Amino acid sequence: MIWAKEETLSRREIEEIQLAKLKATVARVYEKVPAYRAKMDEIGMKPEHVQSLADLKKLPFTVKKDFRDNYPFGLFAVPKEELVRIHASSGTTGKPTVVGYTRNDMKMWTENVTRIAVMGGATEKDVAQICFGYGMFTGALGLHFGLENLGATVCPTSSGNTQKQLMYMKDFGTTLLVATPSYALHIGEVAKEMGIDPKKDLKVKIGLFGGEGMTEPMRQEMYKLWGEDMKVTQNYGMSELIGPGVSGECLELCGMHVNEDHFIPEIIDPVTGEVLPPGEKGELVITCLSKEALPVIRYRTKDISRLMYEPCKCGRTTVRMENLSGRSDDMLIIRGVNVFPTQIEEVLLGVPEIGPHYEIIVDRKNHLDTMEIKVEFTDDTLLDSYAKLGALEKSIKSRLKVVLGLDAAIKLVAPRSLQRFEGKAKRVTDLRNM
Amino acid sequence: MLKQISVFVENEVGSLGRVTGVLRREGINLRAIASYDTPEFGILRMVVDAPEQCKEVLTREGFVVKISEVLAVELVDRPGELDRVLHVIADAELTVNYIYSFVIRNEKSPLMVMHLDDMEKADRILKESGIAVID
Ligand SMILES: [Zn+2]
Repeated sequence: MIWAKEETLSRREIEEIQLAKLKATVARVYEKVPAYRAKMDEIGMKPEHVQSLADLKKLPFTVKKDFRDNYPFGLFAVPKEELVRIHASSGTTGKPTVVGYTRNDMKMWTENVTRIAVMGGATEKDVAQICFGYGMFTGALGLHFGLENLGATVCPTSSGNTQKQLMYMKDFGTTLLVATPSYALHIGEVAKEMGIDPKKDLKVKIGLFGGEGMTEPMRQEMYKLWGEDMKVTQNYGMSELIGPGVSGECLELCGMHVNEDHFIPEIIDPVTGEVLPPGEKGELVITCLSKEALPVIRYRTKDISRLMYEPCKCGRTTVRMENLSGRSDDMLIIRGVNVFPTQIEEVLLGVPEIGPHYEIIVDRKNHLDTMEIKVEFTDDTLLDSYAKLGALEKSIKSRLKVVLGLDAAIKLVAPRSLQRFEGKAKRVTDLRNM
Repeated sequence: MLKQISVFVENEVGSLGRVTGVLRREGINLRAIASYDTPEFGILRMVVDAPEQCKEVLTREGFVVKISEVLAVELVDRPGELDRVLHVIADAELTVNYIYSFVIRNEKSPLMVMHLDDMEKADRILKESGIAVID
């Protein structure tokens, strides 16, 4: 099912909507938001210089720092009285990023999330358990409103207390799970420990995952735990843009459809800032077209992706963004080599003798970068001899070497001994600057 | 043949104790135990009085556990006895992967636990040479 007719427009129709909205948004921010006006004035750009979508690339970028510098409401284009909701994302450093919504923004946000839920197979018959942490984070309430709008039965269980989550899941007959992919895997593991087989004893058949990227091997892991017939999709968004609802995977699993009548995606070279042609990989930049409270022009997401404009088998014509292959921020530079933790994850999840959790420790010894990766050993058949265990370590090492071009030390640890995360997983410890 | 429990343990303080703690709590008796050093991890090998139960409780506690078969050979308590057994094995061109002994036998003869590359053959050869193999 496709929720909105805007998801199936022709390219010309989409672009007409985008251009009209872009012109209006740029005019509004120039008039209402001093920070945007200052940036545009600096390069001699006026709203009337935006005459085609190709002019978008002339506009200045917005970055996370702009939100911090204008904390809390400096980037808002409406008086505070018009807000009906405020969210914030607490960064690890500095001030939180504050975002706000007018009544129309809420309606638009909710509609966008509903589209994404439907893309992932949700219907009004579903019982949806939302295991994102509620509070200032946009994820939980975003999905909550979107699913309620669809007509699903929403259970706001929030994150944590996994055993209780499972009790509700069983007793309410939950059919749809909203969580970060790592927490969904954790819930599945805890279920097994409790003697519950998620495939047989639970009714969860749809997983709408977000909050962090999900790699393909993680998706395979999800099928193993929750059942081959589970509809496992991920969706994308961030509070600066709106929260969840920017894009989501359809059941064809070939990238995430962007709600293009509300968001324009671009891919840029993260170093030069130059816009890259369709199909090339780089940093995702998003312009919000429909927001009243907090219009955002050319926001640098720091997420690495690429755009695919070919029509999708699902019937939607909206552009798809490839599942994220890391964050420009997460990139580690080890002995001069660029390493994305997701590359390591892809390798590790392809090794059947170990579990899906891992920890990367980067350090510097004698002026040389070192990388150690802890993985949970799970395969009892290798306990015959040290030679077999040693061979496993060696094989993981050589697989990593092929992908990264780097040597990493592998440490096998006991199952369930690595830390589990209920929100965003923190897999990397970099001791070099400590 | 005897059932042996192999457990994956990390080489860090208290990891062996965690295994023996579980056995004590469950009332499982340890008959023989062996562990070798490597810098990173070890395989703890044990003979216990209730191997199936032992595997079950350790697995539940999150350990990776395997049950495999080993030979237990009863030695007459006199000099050169182990040497005799090992010569029988060598003469049959069998390889010993590892060997360890029972902890306490209450005045009975010492028992050696062995794992060899060909367990069936070893079992037969040792018995043919008049060596007491525990079944
Ligand atoms: Zn599609």
